[in-house]
Amino acid sequence: MSQSYDRGLIEDFGRWREFSAGMWAWVFHKFTGWVLIAYLFTHISVLSTALPAADASAAVIANGEDIYTQTLHGLESIVIVRFLEVGLLAVAVFHILNGIRLLLVDLGLGLEQQDKSFYASLVLTGAIVVASVPTFLSGAF
Amino acid sequence: MSTQSPDTQTESETDPQAERLERKEERAEEAASAATETAEDTVELKVFRYDPEIADKQEPRFDTFHVPRKQGMTVLDALMHARDHFDSSLTFRHSCRQAVCGSDALFINGSQRLGCQTQIQDLNNSDTVRVEPLPHADVVKDLVVEMEHFYDQMESVEPYFSPAEEPEGEQLQSRENREKIKMSTRCIWCGACMSSCNIAAGDNEYLGPAAINKAYRFYFDDREGEERQQERLEIIEQEHGVWRCQTQFSCTTVCPKDIPLTEHIQELKREAVKSNLKFW
Amino acid sequence: MAERYSSFSRGGLAWFLQRITAAFLVVTLAFHFFLLHFYNHAPEITFAGSMGRMEVPAYWLTMVLFLGTATFHGVNGVYNALVNQGISGTPKRVAKWVLIVAGVALFVQGLRVSFALAGGSLL
Repeated sequence: MSQSYDRGLIEDFGRWREFSAGMWAWVFHKFTGWVLIAYLFTHISVLSTALPAADASAAVIANGEDIYTQTLHGLESIVIVRFLEVGLLAVAVFHILNGIRLLLVDLGLGLEQQDKSFYASLVLTGAIVVASVPTFLSGAF
Repeated sequence: MSTQSPDTQTESETDPQAERLERKEERAEEAASAATETAEDTVELKVFRYDPEIADKQEPRFDTFHVPRKQGMTVLDALMHARDHFDSSLTFRHSCRQAVCGSDALFINGSQRLGCQTQIQDLNNSDTVRVEPLPHADVVKDLVVEMEHFYDQMESVEPYFSPAEEPEGEQLQSRENREKIKMSTRCIWCGACMSSCNIAAGDNEYLGPAAINKAYRFYFDDREGEERQQERLEIIEQEHGVWRCQTQFSCTTVCPKDIPLTEHIQELKREAVKSNLKFW
Repeated sequence: MAERYSSFSRGGLAWFLQRITAAFLVVTLAFHFFLLHFYNHAPEITFAGSMGRMEVPAYWLTMVLFLGTATFHGVNGVYNALVNQGISGTPKRVAKWVLIVAGVALFVQGLRVSFALAGGSLL
């Protein structure tokens, strides 16, 4: 029996133009998921400055000179961080909206319009992110 | 633009065979003149070639054939023309040419489709048709893929009617029950769905949409009885069964028999959850 | 809470809990973002301010549940992505335990943070 040929992953990202809506949804949901779990670990790490901060004196805390406040203010003063927060918002909003779409599919609702609901969640994500930019970037410059 | 007028009938006796033969000759003449006119109207057929036994084809390549365009021709027609007139080594599976045998599932212009069911004029690029073997399956030769894995997954769900008890006389199914499973019975084992699923591509143990749909067909068949129903559920509620489906919907999109595969898988997930919750 | 992590082999339970935690997270994540970026602004967060919120028992409890469900949902999500990708055998067992340990560590650390932010009010 001659050897058969394994072409590997054919529908991989080289063929992205041929992706269906459902496939984009799956790819984006995975990508945003990875970003969010990575963020969760870094978020708890940053917030862990609360542990030493809790030992500071009341006066230091009231003045906002504790390590927790200093760390957060320091991060927020970096412009790139502000932009990354907008990115985080986009990622979280998409994951939530597409997640709702998936929950509905799991309940057997909206299967006929599953591609339209994906496009709707993309559009809504864009709208929410654009509307939030002023709030997120205020005071950054 | 035939230059022959139909009434060049010679005085034939009313001999049916002679008349038939005359009409046959006329048709052949018309076809010949039509063929020369449309000689320039061809379809460019790009076909994936691979043959481990031929030095030239051990690395896959694409061969281009220019097949004369006929109205209503399908991709299978084009492939058969190419094989019959240009390259008799072109190898592909086909049989019924009417979308019931499931032999000719191919990757045509980027989608999984049956060759016999795909009219060339319906493709969004009807001048160039690119034909490849089904994705995520090993290629044996040209457009023929290894189907054993697909059949293994199908067999693992016990795809046969097996009631626990047989009644005396007829075993009737209600009309409603038939309606419920009707769509799931249409599967022709073509493999397009499995080929389109990214999870099936990554996870070798995943049962796949066709197998789970088969399980659905029997799970919801009232005639098998509750005990069999439970046994069937246990097969598909394992880790590489229904839970691997991520509702990508590609299977539903490509199924040539319009089976709502994702919907069926979802129903089985809900059944599994419901049956497990009862034990708490 | 440890039994939450022992059911990975039973695909059905993990699938179901992923959906339950998802429904809960839709609400709490949206709330969290809204509270800390729109109602309050991120650059204005201080320890004192955080303490003010975390001292409220209902808020503290919500945050702890938020942390627990997010940890489960995220870690289970990563595990599923790997299984879909085809991980099997030893790498799979290794990945499963690494994820479980990482998840527990994350939750424990987050819990410690929540106590620090709540001051002495909960003891």
